[in-house]
Amino acid sequence: MAHETQTADIDDPDRIWPTGLTIRESEELHKHLIDGARVFFLISVVAHLLVYLFSPWGG
Amino acid sequence: MIQNLKRRLVRRLASLGPRYMPFADIATPDLPLRRLLRLSLFQVSVGMTLVLLVGTLNRVMIVELDVPATIVGVMIALPLLFAPFRALIGHKSDTHRCELGWRRVPFIWKGMLLQFGGFALMPFALLVLAGKGQSGDEPLWIGHSAAAIAFLMVGAGAHIIQTAGLALATDLTPAKSHPRVVGLMYVVLLLGMIASALIFGAALAEFSAGRLVQVLQTSALVCTALTGIAIWKQEPRRPPRGAVAPTADPSFRESWARFCSGGQAVRRLVIVGLGTMAFGMAEVLLEPFGGQVLQWTVSETTSLTAFLALGGLLGFAYASHAMGQGDEDAFRIAQQGALIGLPAFALVILSAPFGLSGAFLVGNFLIGFGAAIFGHGTLTATMSRAPKGQAGLAVGAWGAVQATAAGLAMALGGIIRDVVNASVGPNEVLGGLSREASGYVTVYGIEIVLLLITIVATIPLLRGLSRRPPAEGGAEGESLAFHPGDGMIDSAAGSR
Repeated sequence: MAHETQTADIDDPDRIWPTGLTIRESEELHKHLIDGARVFFLISVVAHLLVYLFSPWGG
Repeated sequence: MIQNLKRRLVRRLASLGPRYMPFADIATPDLPLRRLLRLSLFQVSVGMTLVLLVGTLNRVMIVELDVPATIVGVMIALPLLFAPFRALIGHKSDTHRCELGWRRVPFIWKGMLLQFGGFALMPFALLVLAGKGQSGDEPLWIGHSAAAIAFLMVGAGAHIIQTAGLALATDLTPAKSHPRVVGLMYVVLLLGMIASALIFGAALAEFSAGRLVQVLQTSALVCTALTGIAIWKQEPRRPPRGAVAPTADPSFRESWARFCSGGQAVRRLVIVGLGTMAFGMAEVLLEPFGGQVLQWTVSETTSLTAFLALGGLLGFAYASHAMGQGDEDAFRIAQQGALIGLPAFALVILSAPFGLSGAFLVGNFLIGFGAAIFGHGTLTATMSRAPKGQAGLAVGAWGAVQATAAGLAMALGGIIRDVVNASVGPNEVLGGLSREASGYVTVYGIEIVLLLITIVATIPLLRGLSRRPPAEGGAEGESLAFHPGDGMIDSAAGSR
């Protein structure tokens, strides 16, 4: 049963393999990763600022 | 021939992809234990966060970093500000629509990012807050605001992860399994907290700024890894492709009104709040009571925590067993938990004037036992009676009330003890009790009253049992009710 459905999925022209996601689904997943990277960039900037206040480098 | 080869190659490629993608392969009528245990790992991450915020960092800030106790209290209380939003998070995850067809995972992912980010900032924020290194000359607001942001981020992350995680567990399991699922989630949380406390204690035995950074950053990584492993391939996807455009989602106000209109939801939430306060007020007072009133040593009072935890574990086991048989209603079990609390607090009170250490120990054990049964019963009832499509809102509302009540109870317990102790003169005796004991006993007395109110409040719910149709649990197998053509692609990807 699962095998039959899988065949139908492979034939789905919207899907891109090997992920099996559609373009829109891939874009959404990508957006989550990019948003996460942006948030982490901001956090790392603040963390570096705090580290500099605790122990300044380059001085 | 070439066509055949091409087709086989594509099929091979197609079967490789899903193996490395975080989507659930198959939708099963009930979760296998191995997958359920893996899902429960998010509770370890939440437990670790709780221990760090309330226990380890509380002590580190006061003792090692010399931060004023008032600021420490404010910082620790900050995550509680987010607790009421758990209901909103639950509602948002109920109604979340995205191309990938996930409802809970995007929230757990965002919660995980917040938690990680907060932990990444926290050690440096705490060091600047304490004016260590060369930060002593910097304006105070920098340390204060950085620490507040870090605490808020970690707390909010943990609240989001727990709300969406419990909602996911509700989705994935039928109502008849909820007692065991709740029991497992609670036990994993408790074991995670115990293990984390021991590990943090050992890791920070020789404190240094570098060690604090190491411990917190390792915690960030471990929490992220545990949550990631927990949600990997758990939530089945229901992508909207090809589906009929849905009607507009209800607003939070509409959802809340619908939730409150059925099954005495408000009464159930009031019971959760009252019972949690009744058990929670003693939480931070039991150890100081042993030390100040019964003159116990530090190691003796530490054994109280072990008794409380042992009572909790046995309570979860009993409640899972009793409700798993299917012949006990979850609220009847919750009422039993509250009933057990009555003699438990009476024993603790009696131990004060007579110096009965044994009664105090037994009382502690019973408090852990009763609180576990009460918490287990109310969460199981919440999960099983969640209206259809509102599992997230129901679990979120439970979490919001429970976390807020627990926080308020801890604060009120300390305040009431101090106010009563201050009002009794140094050589006065209140009702045959010493000055130190009177504050504690007043708090325990209030807890007994709260338990009595809780028990009385549950009576109408239990009366209604005989009139309630047996299959009220709207959340049962809700997300598992996949129909052909509803876009459920994961069952198509084959078994693992």
